[in-house]
Amino acid sequence: MGLLLSKRLATIRPLAVLPFLSALCVVVGITWLLLLPLDSYSRRTYISENALLPGQASAYFGGSEQNIFSAYRHEAAELANATDAKRVQVLGNIFAAAGLKVGRQKYSYTASGQTYSGENVYAILQAPRGDATEATVLSAPWKNLDDIQNIGGVALVTTLARYLKRWSVWSKDIIFLITSDSLAGPQAWVDAYHDQHTSNPGVESLPLKSGAIQGAIVLDYPSGGNFESIHIAYDGVNGQLPNLDLVNTAGNVALHHFGIRPTLQEMWDHNDSYKDRLRTMLRGMVNQGLGHARGGHSVFVPYHVDAVTVQVHGDGWHNEVSLGRFLESMFRSLNNLLEHFHQSFFFYLLMAQKRFVSIGTYLPSAMLIAVNFTLGAIGLWVDSLGSSPPLPLTTTSTEKSTSHTTAAPIERDLFLPLTTVLVFHFLGILPLTLFNHLPTHLFTRTFSAFLFINLVLPFLLSSTLTSLIPASTRERQLKLIKCFSLLFLGMALSALATLNFSLALGVGVASAVLTFIPVEGNGKVVRGVMYVLLQCLSPGMALVGIACYWGVGMEEVLREASFGWWVSGMWTQIVVWCVWWPAWLCGGVLLAEGLVGWRGVEDVPVEEKKKQ
Amino acid sequence: MDKRCISVILGGMLLRLLLFTAFPSLPTLLGNRVEISTPVTSFKRLQEGLFLYTHGVSPYDGGVYHQAPLLLAFFSMMPSSAMATNLIYIIADIQSTLALIDIARSGWSTKSRLHESKRKEMAWPAWGVAAAFLFNPFTIAACIGRPTVVFTNTVILTAIAKAIQGRPTPATLALALSSYLSLYPCLLLAPLVLLSYDFLLHCHSTTLLPTNFSLSKFATTQVTIYFTAVACLLGLSYLITGNSWEFLASTYGVHLFLPDLTPNVGLWWYFFIEMFDPFREFFLCVFQLHLLIYAPGLTIRLRKQPLFVCITMLGILSIFKSYPSIGDTALYLSLLPLYRHIIPLMRYSFVVTSAILYATLLGPAFYHLWIYAGSGNANFFYAITLVWSLSVTLVVADALFAVLREEWEVEGNGREGKPVVQI
Repeated sequence: MGLLLSKRLATIRPLAVLPFLSALCVVVGITWLLLLPLDSYSRRTYISENALLPGQASAYFGGSEQNIFSAYRHEAAELANATDAKRVQVLGNIFAAAGLKVGRQKYSYTASGQTYSGENVYAILQAPRGDATEATVLSAPWKNLDDIQNIGGVALVTTLARYLKRWSVWSKDIIFLITSDSLAGPQAWVDAYHDQHTSNPGVESLPLKSGAIQGAIVLDYPSGGNFESIHIAYDGVNGQLPNLDLVNTAGNVALHHFGIRPTLQEMWDHNDSYKDRLRTMLRGMVNQGLGHARGGHSVFVPYHVDAVTVQVHGDGWHNEVSLGRFLESMFRSLNNLLEHFHQSFFFYLLMAQKRFVSIGTYLPSAMLIAVNFTLGAIGLWVDSLGSSPPLPLTTTSTEKSTSHTTAAPIERDLFLPLTTVLVFHFLGILPLTLFNHLPTHLFTRTFSAFLFINLVLPFLLSSTLTSLIPASTRERQLKLIKCFSLLFLGMALSALATLNFSLALGVGVASAVLTFIPVEGNGKVVRGVMYVLLQCLSPGMALVGIACYWGVGMEEVLREASFGWWVSGMWTQIVVWCVWWPAWLCGGVLLAEGLVGWRGVEDVPVEEKKKQ
Repeated sequence: MDKRCISVILGGMLLRLLLFTAFPSLPTLLGNRVEISTPVTSFKRLQEGLFLYTHGVSPYDGGVYHQAPLLLAFFSMMPSSAMATNLIYIIADIQSTLALIDIARSGWSTKSRLHESKRKEMAWPAWGVAAAFLFNPFTIAACIGRPTVVFTNTVILTAIAKAIQGRPTPATLALALSSYLSLYPCLLLAPLVLLSYDFLLHCHSTTLLPTNFSLSKFATTQVTIYFTAVACLLGLSYLITGNSWEFLASTYGVHLFLPDLTPNVGLWWYFFIEMFDPFREFFLCVFQLHLLIYAPGLTIRLRKQPLFVCITMLGILSIFKSYPSIGDTALYLSLLPLYRHIIPLMRYSFVVTSAILYATLLGPAFYHLWIYAGSGNANFFYAITLVWSLSVTLVVADALFAVLREEWEVEGNGREGKPVVQI
């Protein structure tokens, strides 16, 4: 090994190109996403796991079972105003009468001063051909997400419990589960099933258990009468999805064997056009990005249990018999599984029942947007060196000068920029704690105050920063602050893209403007306009946007977020308050610095002249 | 010791105490991370071994415990409360810091017997080096996760500090202890002996030293001391494990033959999972020899700076040894600030820092996808350990380049700032 002198390499500065490259990344990333619904980029869905054999077994549910269903529906309707204990007792008796072992579980959660409590009841059908090492779950919440009593769902589950018990084909246990509500109840049950409930004393342990759960289907059938189509909900908590095979099996069995039209993402009329595909995909991405629980199935997914919710919709010629047969057929398919769902995709975007894209195709769009930040950071890193007045290359001509002068300008003062960025990120803990601990009735007021603080905080922080940074190095230090902030944002987003693609993409698109915030120069008008734009793209405004999208108040959004945090183990908040908000704040401070504290580009050379 | 050093140490101590007390579940959480605990350093396994040991069963029977017997003796004498254990780990980190402060204050990294840097003024003060160690997130994670690699690190740092203080025998003894604890530090023997030798020669005028003081004699003495110490430690272990040599296969055998393929941040586990059995012995030899070849090469090439050889060897070990963890990388990264003055000469500092940070974030994410979410597989995590190892390799290579370049600049006038190409 040796060191050889060579000709001085020509210094090429690709710095000027980098902002354009960043912009190109953002544009290509978004365009990429918009291209996905086209035929050439998406794929037809298919069943990858051959063992599933969807719809190959004949379904025999019907005939006298229909009368039993009607009877149970009446029973359920009569329990409408009954207490938890009474309801659990009646349902438990029904299960016990069918010859199943029955278990009960009380639970109670507290989030933002509200209590969510109830009692679950479940029964285990022990597989005649199995050894209780594997199980599947059929569940119906007593009340669905809209707080309507799920009469049909409960009646159908009890009917099926009685009906499926008679078959000798089962090689996996079937657990019939009636939960008090749609989110807290299933969560308590799944947590307790996997012994993960010990941190919450309000959740009881389960008296009865079976084997590892291979799949779960949640039924939402409040009408108990005729319906037109079924809606398959598949988003898990934190954007994790069930295996695509399960979703496809549900759609395939419903459509091809019973003529029930399956729909996704509440797209009731889907004509397979580009527009409808795009809307389905975007709706899916919004739900995935928010990462909240969207029904009983959502809470199963984090435990590596593939689950979907089947909701009936509309008024048509299908009735409880079609739905019962559909469920029977689904359980026959699940029963066929030789091993845990693994064949098909876990990362996908569905854009129609028959159309999807997998991770390899869609990931580049989020990655490109994350790369845009990293490119910005690299540019600023190099730039923060280049803008220093004495360039190291110029001093080499006077070779007899001491080495210290040549080495010194290469140094960047990293301490203050690093500390600033770290402090900003730690500041994120404040809103995170605030919005997770406040009682519900204070949400709206606190949030308004928070929006106002967002408006002025950049100016306050920038004046603090101005007093800390010596004027001579301000530009370089500010560049480094932006550099580290962008670097961290890019890193966090690319890591996040593998966990929750939609969230990473959403945060990336909303903060894309941060790369282009000027550190030096530019008039106050441009900065003012950018500041307004930045305020419109803040995490706070994103929450307002969600409230508008759902058509509910801010209080409801924040209550749901707090519920997700305390009950479902959702971590979207951490991303919003500890990754996005600090980066946003950093951008705001840099703009404010220019609007108020900036001494003007013209001043800097004057100072240098003085020094010389 | 100046006030700044003391306040840094107090700060680091308080931070650790705070983390231990405010988040009681954190030690278990971090201790279960494969990035922090390996089969040969895990605190959970230590507890298991301790339980067996105190109940009169051979700790090496079950194939769970792969750590040195003296650790058992040590921990069985300590009070068994969690707080006491935490304090032991904090004290170990503080002892490491004190050793680092000694090394930094000696200024040996910039001015040694054979080499004097022209950038001396740029070196960090001792408190800066101490802070870089105590507040390094990897060091903190390693301390809170309580792997026994923390003790190995302490002993290694103590060995280097003693060598620089001109006390060769304690230095060699400390190195013997660290080799006893986790085998691989034995590769530091040669540079450490040179380090002691250089210091003695530099600081004592030749009149004070014995008349026949020569490197060969000095080295022979130290190597003898080293092997005697190791033999004593092994003998002691033989006695406390009930007169059995069983522990040799369960501790050093595991380091050498890799029977436990639990994932870690290193490069071995995946490779040997994929390996067909007939080739296993061959590749084990290749991997171990690969580690061995760096020691002589570096010691000879960097004869003028044995301290840097020690540091670089630690960096190489943290990448290529059989069960590396981030505790090993933390040791290397906290020794690098001693060479603060060569950082301007490094070429990839930004890229490498970014790559390490990327790997730090993506590693746990991919491990989660593989183990918990079930939506990923082993390749995800392995890919990120490759990135991790690559970035640490780049740091090692780049620092080596910078040191060589600086030596080259010192050798002749007017070479500063001239572009060079490394062949």
